[in-house]
Amino acid sequence: MVRQGKLLEVQDLQKNYGKKNNITKALNGVSFDVLPGEFLGIMGPSGSGKTTLLNCIATIIKPTSGRVLLNGENISAFDSKDLAEYRGSRIGYLFQDFELLDNLTGQENILLPLSIHGIDFAKAHTKLDDLAFFLEITDILNKFPSQMSGGQKQRVAAARSLISNPDIVLADEPTGALDTRSARTLMNKLEGINRSRGRTILMVSHDPNAASFCSRILFIQDGVIFHELRRKHDESQEKFYERILHLLAQLGGGSVNVL
Amino acid sequence: MFSRLIYRNAKRNRKENLIYFATLVTAVASFYIILSLGRQDVILFLKEFESDAIDKLLAQMPIVYLFSLFLLFFLTLFANRYQLNRRSKEFGLYLMLGMRKERLILQLLAEGFITSILALIGGILIGGFLAEIISLTVSKLVGQGIIGHQISLSVGAIFFTIVGFLFIQFIALAILGGRLFNQEVHQLLYEQMDKKQDMGHLKGNVINILVGSILLGAAYWIVLYRFMDFAGLILFAALALGSLGTILFMRGFAKLLGLLANMSERKSTKGLHTFTLRQFQENIANRSTSVAVTSILIMLAIILLTDGASTIMGLENVYTRGPAIYDFTVNSDNQKAEQFLTSEKMVSYVEDLNFLEIGQMKYQDEHGEDDLPLSLVDWSKLREQLIMALPSNYREQILSGEMQYYDISSENPEALNLFGVLEIDATKPYLIPETSYNGLLEAIGETPLNLDSDEIALYFNPDFMPMDDVDIMPVLDRILEDALEERQSLMSINDQEVFIHPSIPMRGLVADRSVEITSAFIVPDQMFEQLLDTETYVSYWNFCIPQKLQEQQGLMKAMMEARDLLQSSGFEFESYLQNFGRKLFYVVAGSYTTLYLGFLFLIIACTVIALQFLTQMKQTGQRYVTLSVLGAKRKQMKQSVHRQVLLTFLLPMSLACVSGAVGIRAMISFVIIYFDDQVLLYPIALTFACLVLGIFVIYGVAVARSADHEIDKLRWKPNID
Ligand SMILES: Nc1ncnc2c1ncn2[C@@H]1O[C@H](COP(=O)(O)OP(=O)(O)O)[C@@H](O)[C@H]1O
Ligand SMILES: [Mg+2]
Repeated sequence: MVRQGKLLEVQDLQKNYGKKNNITKALNGVSFDVLPGEFLGIMGPSGSGKTTLLNCIATIIKPTSGRVLLNGENISAFDSKDLAEYRGSRIGYLFQDFELLDNLTGQENILLPLSIHGIDFAKAHTKLDDLAFFLEITDILNKFPSQMSGGQKQRVAAARSLISNPDIVLADEPTGALDTRSARTLMNKLEGINRSRGRTILMVSHDPNAASFCSRILFIQDGVIFHELRRKHDESQEKFYERILHLLAQLGGGSVNVL
Repeated sequence: MFSRLIYRNAKRNRKENLIYFATLVTAVASFYIILSLGRQDVILFLKEFESDAIDKLLAQMPIVYLFSLFLLFFLTLFANRYQLNRRSKEFGLYLMLGMRKERLILQLLAEGFITSILALIGGILIGGFLAEIISLTVSKLVGQGIIGHQISLSVGAIFFTIVGFLFIQFIALAILGGRLFNQEVHQLLYEQMDKKQDMGHLKGNVINILVGSILLGAAYWIVLYRFMDFAGLILFAALALGSLGTILFMRGFAKLLGLLANMSERKSTKGLHTFTLRQFQENIANRSTSVAVTSILIMLAIILLTDGASTIMGLENVYTRGPAIYDFTVNSDNQKAEQFLTSEKMVSYVEDLNFLEIGQMKYQDEHGEDDLPLSLVDWSKLREQLIMALPSNYREQILSGEMQYYDISSENPEALNLFGVLEIDATKPYLIPETSYNGLLEAIGETPLNLDSDEIALYFNPDFMPMDDVDIMPVLDRILEDALEERQSLMSINDQEVFIHPSIPMRGLVADRSVEITSAFIVPDQMFEQLLDTETYVSYWNFCIPQKLQEQQGLMKAMMEARDLLQSSGFEFESYLQNFGRKLFYVVAGSYTTLYLGFLFLIIACTVIALQFLTQMKQTGQRYVTLSVLGAKRKQMKQSVHRQVLLTFLLPMSLACVSGAVGIRAMISFVIIYFDDQVLLYPIALTFACLVLGIFVIYGVAVARSADHEIDKLRWKPNID
């Protein structure tokens, strides 16, 4: 394997909520790296700090301490103006509840990051058509979100997160609001995007099924990362899924500290 | 604890929602202003001369009050609904925490009451201040130091303002409270804008726009060309068509915007252009009816304001003296009146004192065949000459006997007017002795008449005889000149040939209206005594305020003083003040209500637009969060919001301007509005345009700032699983 530079470095990230006498330590010193082309999953039970972690990376919230480096640049120290440059162009997002603007058509939603950043999207149309074809949303580009199914919405959202060729796509429980079938379709597409186009994805989920599409999984609890699983080179998704389930059973049954 | 919550909430309401509070204050202020009309300086002033008319005007005010009560009720209903929608989550929470619905509604009413009291205090203060300013401005405009200033504070007005406002506020809250009572907690917690994005089919929209435009066009056509058909009833048809057209137009327009958005997307558009359009489209599409209603309100406001403004332009006319030169006419037994007018205390107010005698001519002693009295006047030769001088079409009508009656109008040729007047008057003409008229001529610095014993002069009252120049009658003079050359007499009285003096300067015979005659013969004094029908005899003392006194004190003030003296003397009299007061009354009565309603409509429309926009803003706040996550800067989003505000105000305003212009055009061509003062036209038009624009700008800026505030408040709220 060729040694690549780190795309994302998370260093000792801490995030506290609340005031002095009532502090929630949502993140309690989280560190990890993401390599280019990786499909990294982060798993953990509800309230373990997944969303907080992702939002810190996404620059949506400011960490209490620690650093987030994207291509070596400390984006957690940026001021809001520089952050706006990053959002939507260098970082793409996928949310549990899609966050599509319901008064814009699918196509308008997808192109939104480009227009926000003032990118001439006359050239982007080939890219749009390509993405739409791959995500199977060509037919619904001119529909409004209210006329789409959940799965379609999330695929439109996926297209939106990819349109500006971001360095990394952050996804927070992207299958959380979808039924099993749509969730599977979506994960297949994300995997495809990761594999065939080399797009780096960082996904947070508590769903082992979704997580089994990843190439590596970090486990988080109470704001700390305590375990890591890697998918073997030729391991099938089903096999990986079995392993995750197995691990979760162990975690649920025994003490966390054992691992 | 409970009462503290109420107080705190009421306070937060006012702070958080300045527009809501400002709306209530505006409502209160409008009530106060209309109710305190009777205390306005100009009205108090007019009451002294035109008390009947003023009473009639004031008697109309309760109707205006009730009408504005009705309008402002909807405004408060709307404002309160907006406010409650903003807080629906909070109410849901109270209910979740176990508060009973009755209690919640009681709390709402209590909060509403506190807010109302504060709105009342603020509104009455502002209303009082505005009323005072209006009072001062008007008396300054009317001016010349004649109107004393009185504080316009009126207890009755305050009372009815409070009663009226609390009444509508209570009803509005009761209705909204009732609705709240019937809502599920869930609805309250998750209330959102209609999620459905019905952007419609293109075909239907084009039809909407087409039909809307056609209806509007029909309405415009009716207004422009069929204004007065069916006794003006057709105007209602025009109004209905116009309103329906406006609604359809707005409905279709919203959807056409979608098309525009689609088109712009294919071009390389930068920034939040598409988003802005879509937001605007949604705002219009979801509320096309109320956008149309605001547009109609603005149109009405524009028309009313123009009408009011055109009346104000008539103010200049109030000061231009008509043909009456005398300031006072005392109508009394001549000796005593003369004594009084030349007495020590009056003498400094009296100049050009003149005794006017007037009466009609006798008939012949014998009666005619059918027992009708016979006139002493034979003017057949003059009549012939006048007919000869007529344009041929009129001449034929008269000769064939087709013309039955005579309109005296400024559009007629001079000869026709003369002919008509004499035809009516010459049988039993009014007589004025030469000396009486000479007094008048002297007062205006003209040479006295000095008539021969067989000479008369014709007098035409310039008030009733429209003439370009009251001193010259070219056609008459030519006829008289020709007759003089041929030494021919054109008239005989009592079988004696008389000669007619060339035309003389003509002025009003009295100060106002005590003598209302169209024409008279000015005759030598001797002839007056001979021919007078003594039963018709009347006499007056006329005088002017001395020039010097006018320069010292101003005409109005001196007149008021003289009037007070005369009033205490008990003589019957009239003065130019009455004339002035009457004209002023028309201006005041004609402008006050229209301007008031105009501004009221404008403010209501603006408030509705503003509240609607902010409601949408609040309900779609999450979109801005999403935008910011996609990398939009606050500045970018604010820019988009400002554009939305601009468009939201511009759309109803543009259509209103077009419709308003058509309405005004029609009213001008049917002389309901006319601008008779070209000098004042531009300043006044400019002032009103600025006022209207100013109101829009104030509202627009207020909305934009609230929206900015909402955007600044946006925080990313992570969804907790
Ligand atoms: N805005 C917030 N204010 C206070 N506490 C918060 C906030 N967001 C999250 N938390 C707390 O931080 C912890 C981690 O939350 P979160 O990151 O949402 O976990 P997850 O996404 O893994 O369910 C939880 O205990 C949660 O209650
Ligand atoms: Mg989460």
